[in-house]
Amino acid sequence: MNGSSSLIVAIPSKGRLQERANAFFAGHGFPIVQPRGERTYRGTIVEIPEAEIAFLSAGEIAGQLASGNVHLGITGRDLVEETIDDWNARVELVMPLGFGFADVVVAVPEAWVDVETMADLDDVAADFRRRHGRRLKVATKYFNLTHRFFSGHGIADYRIVESLGATEGTPASGAADLIVDITTTGSTLKANGLKVLADGVILKSEAHLVASLVAPWSGEARAALDALARGLGAGKAATGFEPLRKKLRRQDV
Amino acid sequence: MENPVDRLRGILSGAGYDFIEPPVLHDADTFLDLAGEDLRRRMYLTSSAEGIELCLRPDYTIPVALHHLTAGGDPRRVASYAYCGPVFRQRPGETGEFWQAGVESIGRTDRADADADTLALALGALAALGVRPAVRIGDQSLFDALLDALPVPDLWRRRLARAFGDTPRLHELIEEMAGRSVRPRLGPIAARHGGFPPTIEDVREEVARLFATGGIPEVGGRTVAEIAERYFEHTALTAGSPESLDAANILLRFLAISGPPDRAALALGELAARETPAMAAAIGAFTERTHGFVRHGIDIDAIHFAADFGRRLDYYTGFIFELSDPSRGGGRPLAGGGRYDRLLSLIRTRNGTGEDIPAVGFALWLDRLGVPAR
Repeated sequence: MNGSSSLIVAIPSKGRLQERANAFFAGHGFPIVQPRGERTYRGTIVEIPEAEIAFLSAGEIAGQLASGNVHLGITGRDLVEETIDDWNARVELVMPLGFGFADVVVAVPEAWVDVETMADLDDVAADFRRRHGRRLKVATKYFNLTHRFFSGHGIADYRIVESLGATEGTPASGAADLIVDITTTGSTLKANGLKVLADGVILKSEAHLVASLVAPWSGEARAALDALARGLGAGKAATGFEPLRKKLRRQDV
Repeated sequence: MENPVDRLRGILSGAGYDFIEPPVLHDADTFLDLAGEDLRRRMYLTSSAEGIELCLRPDYTIPVALHHLTAGGDPRRVASYAYCGPVFRQRPGETGEFWQAGVESIGRTDRADADADTLALALGALAALGVRPAVRIGDQSLFDALLDALPVPDLWRRRLARAFGDTPRLHELIEEMAGRSVRPRLGPIAARHGGFPPTIEDVREEVARLFATGGIPEVGGRTVAEIAERYFEHTALTAGSPESLDAANILLRFLAISGPPDRAALALGELAARETPAMAAAIGAFTERTHGFVRHGIDIDAIHFAADFGRRLDYYTGFIFELSDPSRGGGRPLAGGGRYDRLLSLIRTRNGTGEDIPAVGFALWLDRLGVPAR
């Protein structure tokens, strides 16, 4: 990003997530200003001059945290776990932010009355090729979450079909047999004739303040982090910074 | 002095195998269809300008099988292929490009001898490199024969068969079958019918209605008949019955059998004589293979058989082996091999309903053996 800035904080560059992120910082006394107007992708926090705000597309933030190009970021837990291979080692989930709620779920057609659990899905998947001459198709953008969850349930007989939008429509269009997707209320799934399996919730996701453990944490960056932590510090928020500080100290040794 | 790769090539061709060099770049679909989505994160993937997903070959077995089927002629013909070259896999802590050498023997119907010849050749190749490895063997056909001989509902038989090779999961399933831990029951339709058990017509009607309201086409996917059939199959499961408790105990006793193959055969024989006489044929084939090891001069006391050792790939059907040496390659396998009678029929028919074609082979991991690639 910008080598001269000490602490780079990435937040989503548009939509409701940006509004909520801006409101989150402003609500804790750190209004974000964009000196050159809304069209630029840079901002600052007046109270913390060492910090710079980078507005990035929501899908990009997890990757930038993983590669250490930004120190902090606001992004969904689903994207952290999906995008970053060993996310536990590369980033720290500092605190949940109370917005951007979404569950990543396994959903099958409601007409599959014989399938209520992942174990049922395992039976169906294993039998599918023999019956239909192809593997069961799962539409999703969450390749890694799907893979981990399915193999945790011993399911190997399926194929992933990449779907970057309108995933819930793929069973109706014939592009897939079932889906792994995010849902908030479940009403979109229902409208598309789908149901969530009883043990099919892969992840309950929410927007988080996330810290990179591999970014260059200079003395100034840590000072800025401390200033931010103090501002956010009331109540449960403060507790999230402690594990992060501990991990950063351990890296120094 | 002779280069180790040349020495290996000499040993494999001396045993009657012909070297081939299949393409490096393949349609990823073939591999993902055969090995499952689990393989995806271990492969190097790319795509063609037309958007077709391609992969660098992660091993030689599937490319050699494709070569055998596309070279023309009867797919059941006897053929002996050898290979030596680079393969590509994402391996944590190891390089992504590395060399393998090995053989694939296709079409031999004298399976026990073919298995023994294959293990003997792998051991001979390692001996030529000065390696005397530990030998671990397994045999899925014994487990399959046991399942066939037990009075277990089909649905359970299929569940247990596909968990073979994943011992913790297998134990979980056996527990569940014995009724010591029970899955939630299926009851949505029964509930809608005022608690009365629905008839198959009720279920078909309900499924058809749900397909229609969901706007989901039945064509190409699961059908009303198939769903209704499984609904009843599942509700008829006899978890916790005295028969399934007996079956669970026999399965656990079988899975615990291990040791040198001759002594393991005795233990298997005792179990079968008392509980499942129908296993006799599979045990006979196992013993015949052990005789083959002895004829090749392999020290069978140094072989460790484990009844629960299997590969979680559905085209592996019988004998498998792994050779390792704690002082080399970080203790990871130096060679792996086995029988994959279902692979060629899966490639030919996609649903694997065709007749099995005998095939057995092995691969040596040259990087772990410290053999420089060339």
